[in-house]
Amino acid sequence: MQALLILLGTGLLIGLAIGLVVKFFGAESDPLLDAINELMPGANCGACGFPGCGSYAAAMVKQTAKPGACPSMSEETIQKICRLLGVSEEKRERKVAVVFCSGDDEKATRRAFYNGVNNCRDAMQVAAGAKTCTYGCLGLGACARACPFGAIEITPKHLAVVHPDLCQACGKCVQTCPKKLIRLVPASAPIHVFCSSPDKGALKRSACKGACIGCRKCVNNAGENQMRMNGFLAVVNYGDPPPAELAKVCPTGALRSNIPQPKSATLSDGGKNV
Amino acid sequence: MGDYFSLIIGAILVNNFVLSRILGICPFLGVSRSLKTASGMGGAVLFVMTLAGLLTAMINQWILRPYHVEYLRTIVFILAIAGLVQIVEVLLQRFSQPLYKALGIYLPLITTNCAVLGSAIICADEGYDLLRSTIFCFASAVGFALALLLFSSLREKLELAKTPQCMEGTPIALITAGLLAMAFLGFAGLGG
Amino acid sequence: MSEFFRFYGGVHPKQEKLASKVAIASAPLLERYTVPLQMHIGAPAKLVVQKDSKVLRGQLLAEAGGFVSARIHSPTSGIIKEVTTCLGVTGTQWPAVIIESDGEDAPADPLTPIPDWQEADPTVLLKRIGEAGIVGMGGASFPTQVKLSPPPDKPIDTLVINGVECEPCLTADHRLMLENPEQIIKGILIVARILGVKNIFLGIEKNKPDAVELMSEKAKGTPIQVCPLEVRYPQGAEKQLIYALTKRKVPSGGLPMAIGCVVQNIASACAIADAVIDGTPLYERVTTVTGTPLIAPGNWHFRVGTLYEDAVRLAGGVNEDPAKIISGGPMMGLSVYSLQIPITKNCSGILLLSPSEVNQYQSKSCIRCGRCNDTCPMQLMPGILSIQIENERFELAETWHVLDCMECGCCSYVCPAGRPLVQHMRRAKTEVIARRQATAAAVKKNS
Repeated sequence: MQALLILLGTGLLIGLAIGLVVKFFGAESDPLLDAINELMPGANCGACGFPGCGSYAAAMVKQTAKPGACPSMSEETIQKICRLLGVSEEKRERKVAVVFCSGDDEKATRRAFYNGVNNCRDAMQVAAGAKTCTYGCLGLGACARACPFGAIEITPKHLAVVHPDLCQACGKCVQTCPKKLIRLVPASAPIHVFCSSPDKGALKRSACKGACIGCRKCVNNAGENQMRMNGFLAVVNYGDPPPAELAKVCPTGALRSNIPQPKSATLSDGGKNV
Repeated sequence: MGDYFSLIIGAILVNNFVLSRILGICPFLGVSRSLKTASGMGGAVLFVMTLAGLLTAMINQWILRPYHVEYLRTIVFILAIAGLVQIVEVLLQRFSQPLYKALGIYLPLITTNCAVLGSAIICADEGYDLLRSTIFCFASAVGFALALLLFSSLREKLELAKTPQCMEGTPIALITAGLLAMAFLGFAGLGG
Repeated sequence: MSEFFRFYGGVHPKQEKLASKVAIASAPLLERYTVPLQMHIGAPAKLVVQKDSKVLRGQLLAEAGGFVSARIHSPTSGIIKEVTTCLGVTGTQWPAVIIESDGEDAPADPLTPIPDWQEADPTVLLKRIGEAGIVGMGGASFPTQVKLSPPPDKPIDTLVINGVECEPCLTADHRLMLENPEQIIKGILIVARILGVKNIFLGIEKNKPDAVELMSEKAKGTPIQVCPLEVRYPQGAEKQLIYALTKRKVPSGGLPMAIGCVVQNIASACAIADAVIDGTPLYERVTTVTGTPLIAPGNWHFRVGTLYEDAVRLAGGVNEDPAKIISGGPMMGLSVYSLQIPITKNCSGILLLSPSEVNQYQSKSCIRCGRCNDTCPMQLMPGILSIQIENERFELAETWHVLDCMECGCCSYVCPAGRPLVQHMRRAKTEVIARRQATAAAVKKNS
């Protein structure tokens, strides 16, 4: 009996103390913020421009940011958040990253042998890399390591390829590539020109068999304004992209579809530089 | 005076709570990824453990012993410590948001931290008076913080090192903790 | 013992000065010169001639593009064949003009000679340096007019002249001291007059005793003190040279002017003398073409715009395919893949290495031996920095002073694990500077 009273007494006293402290020092917790935090994906990838999912949620509650900036969120989640915040929903088009280069070991030639740190950003500082085409992919994997979703594969022939089904369009690879070869484009576009070199056609061809030689066959065979020429490089108009069949006219294969191959091999060093 | 000195040295080095008594491993492994969070946690535990030591010693001396209900000490001590940690949590949330966020789940975990309860029970078992209890708990917390600081510095370096993939993260941390515990065995016999 | 001070660290690479006994020869006139429009640090120069214009030797081709910039002058007489790009040492294309020489090498009117430079107004002398397009010819290519105009809150009391040439294989400065000592002395005194200093040190490494002796003799009666310095790489690095001669330390992230010093290369001093006394702008420099694959390594007066290919041909061509072509010396030079690169105002050497001299290595883990810490002249910890950089922790590298690295190559030279330390440092420096610029831009945008 005595024990029970002592226990109860202690418990009550401590509860009272806690209550007093919470009353005088307690901070208010926002239920709206908590609800939105529940819906955040929690990847903290930074694609929304905020340092973490928590910061983006807080910004949305404060009305300094709009829902929809998070590429990992499903449409359903965005609509839920919009309803919670009481703002109207906005339509958003899904994007994917594409590496605009076809120059793997088989197609592209090298002008030197590079012996150094196995990272594209390091290789760039040594005479802009060892590939003959100054604009081409170095294939050392900086983008693959930067991708938080593991969507980029470096093929065994040293070319970076994005798997569109895994890509969340966060944009990290776009910032990482030192040759600025990666861009975010609408996921619905069926074909792309996998070349970024503005050099003359003959020069490009001698450097890489997969280059766009500027023959204009695609521009001539496509609908009006679906393809255009940027100097000696053909470019798809992503506002009105041509159909997939157009890829048949390309003599080098630079214009082709983004077929997701099954992932053949991942980087063997687990993401650390050699 | 020398008595207290050996008590303190004993609590910090010879019988370090984490590395010799193997208490408080949860925050030891959980918050030690970076030196900043580790020092925050060390500070929080220091505060809580000292006050808890004093509070539980008071409860033991003035409530439990006179009414001969020492067998209740486990529950009562836990109650007291839980309450204290709740209060610390609220105060932290109010006065230091970054530290509160950094400690995260580990702050309420100090409640169930066997180091805090352990120090209270050791004081009760050894029959320390109020002053000795407080000093002992304070010194134990210093030892805890020391182990945490050492370990987090090591882990920061481990993060940059090339460990085999199967060892990355917790496995190599546990091995390092074991080596650190072995190193602390060297203090055996110090301070009498 | 030497009365000079010993800087921390450093290494002793093999000297390999194959061309040190070869007198400087004149290069014959070429059919075309490819002149880049940026041979200096700062804003690119702005072209003032067009395609098909006729130009004369020493005529102004491009005006300075800003305060920190330099003029560019034509190396010969002829016609501007093309305004295009050329391959640079960075592997990227640089804006350039191609001049087709008419064979006459007719000179333009020189800038007004100033024979009485000893009494001339220092501002006039300084202006002449800008008019002649003089830049740091030791490799830094910083516009000299800007370097010799320190802000008033940084008083200068010491002039240090760099005749050290610590880089292995290069001999251009050595030969210039042996063959043109009076002009160099005059150039040094002109710079001293501009800065208004009385303390002048001329540092020369002890492995050039003939240069030390000759320059000491020619400097008699002038305030120039010729200082024979211990042979250690990088004795000729600005901060190490200042320390060796004056025991002053340049603060981290700071410039020599912060401690009252200005450093000039002797080739720059010679060019300054040419510009002031004879009115000749800078369009020619001494470059060492060396390496075991070459048949006749040597030193030549090359005009800017001479391709490396032309230089190698003058050196008799190669008797085996080089494995490496380096612009500069083996420690700090840049590796290039083609000889179609033009010689610029700051190209002190073209080095070819044979396959047996080049090591293809596989970088291994840092073994924490600490050799790099013992040799780093800037007292950094390259091993730890390289581990941080490998893990892309550039903010940690910034805290560990990676920006103080001068890329001298001592750490890579001694690393037993064959780690590409300098490459790591270069990567970290670019990333840290880029992040700082991005933060500054973001702050500016938000304010």
